Amino acid sequence: MVQKKVVIKNKIGIHTRPAATLVKLAAKYNSEFYIMKDGMEINGKSIIGVMTLAAEQGSTLQLRFDGKDEKVMAKAIVELFDRGMDDV
Amino acid sequence: MKNYLSSLKISRKSDVTVNFLYQNLKNRLKLKKLNNAGGENKITDKNLHRPGLAIAGYVDLFTYQRVQIVGNTEIRYLKTLTLEKQIETFKKLFSFNLPCLIITNQNKFHKNIIKIAQENNIALFSTPIETTKTTYFVSDFLDDHFSPQTTIHGSFIDVYGVGVLIIGPSGIGKSEVALDLVERGHRLVADDVIKVHQKGEGILIGTGTELVKHFMEIRGLGLVDIRRIFGIRSIRFQKRVEVIVELQEWDRRKSFTRTGLDLNTAKIIEVDIPHIQLQIFPGKNITVIIEVIALNYLQTHYGYNAAKAFANRLEKVIKNKNKQNKRAINYFEHDFE
Repeated sequence: MVQKKVVIKNKIGIHTRPAATLVKLAAKYNSEFYIMKDGMEINGKSIIGVMTLAAEQGSTLQLRFDGKDEKVMAKAIVELFDRGMDDV
Repeated sequence: MKNYLSSLKISRKSDVTVNFLYQNLKNRLKLKKLNNAGGENKITDKNLHRPGLAIAGYVDLFTYQRVQIVGNTEIRYLKTLTLEKQIETFKKLFSFNLPCLIITNQNKFHKNIIKIAQENNIALFSTPIETTKTTYFVSDFLDDHFSPQTTIHGSFIDVYGVGVLIIGPSGIGKSEVALDLVERGHRLVADDVIKVHQKGEGILIGTGTELVKHFMEIRGLGLVDIRRIFGIRSIRFQKRVEVIVELQEWDRRKSFTRTGLDLNTAKIIEVDIPHIQLQIFPGKNITVIIEVIALNYLQTHYGYNAAKAFANRLEKVIKNKNKQNKRAINYFEHDFE
């Protein structure tokens, strides 16, 4: 299991499009992916789940990866967060 | 095979403020504020306390951190005391860190007592409702808010009145099965993110979230609004969780129940729920199987267990000395259809 912490950088937080970008990237990997915010943990491969977090700019998310490709997956996902979800 | 329910994060509210309690119960209990203090005091315990003994002067083990309810008994007792003695009593009582105190049956406190509460920042409320009812409402409200809760990834549907929770890995088709069930007239509670909280000792209640309410993601199609498409009869807001159906990829090596005599259960929070594992392969109609699971659950609930009934029948045949493997009907006259 790999655990990471990320901070939301893009301005309007994880709205619909960044959520879609995130789950699309997550779906490319086999490991389980969970995101926790404010004591609620959701499945990072579910777009409805990710949107439920309603994560705003500056909020911190705890990520949990579990599976065979957890390390590569964690790296790719954390990079996406660092790039501000590729949101322009 | 991964266990989807073993790593659930259980959370529990650690406190609610007195103001929050007041805002939520003021209409039902016709609560009246007797002073303007202690609104931000924290309630940390779901139990209530009637401070009879503390008022009588015995404060060992006084559970002061609970919401205090004062009824006719306490007031009647206080009336036997002089005002000086009453004030002394309340000076002692309110020196503890009480969150709030509710006085029932339209009873009243002397203004000097209200002043002592104000000085100690303790909220005082009065209600015209009798003590037992007040206790019931406050207790039910606090129980709901302090109940342990968790979030589950899956689909949750009312199938013939049975709360069926479908779980399994991402992309296995939970939402598609849920959609199929809705199409057949069953009611969607929530999809993808299900909030589950425990009520009392053995009841789990599942609901959706305010944001997502009855939207669903169908892969390849995107987000759809079930309530808009199928109407009010296709949804509900909450339901007791009664059966868990776990969808799994077909695996030849895995053994699964063939008779249904041994019921597996899975634990969510502290409640054991019947747990059925279904393996998916082409040609298997999961929707119909889930309907049968729900009906079978109802049968068992109403006292008929198909697996046991069959076992009994077999036992009878085995015991019978002159047994032959009979036809279902031995001779059914002129039924040539």
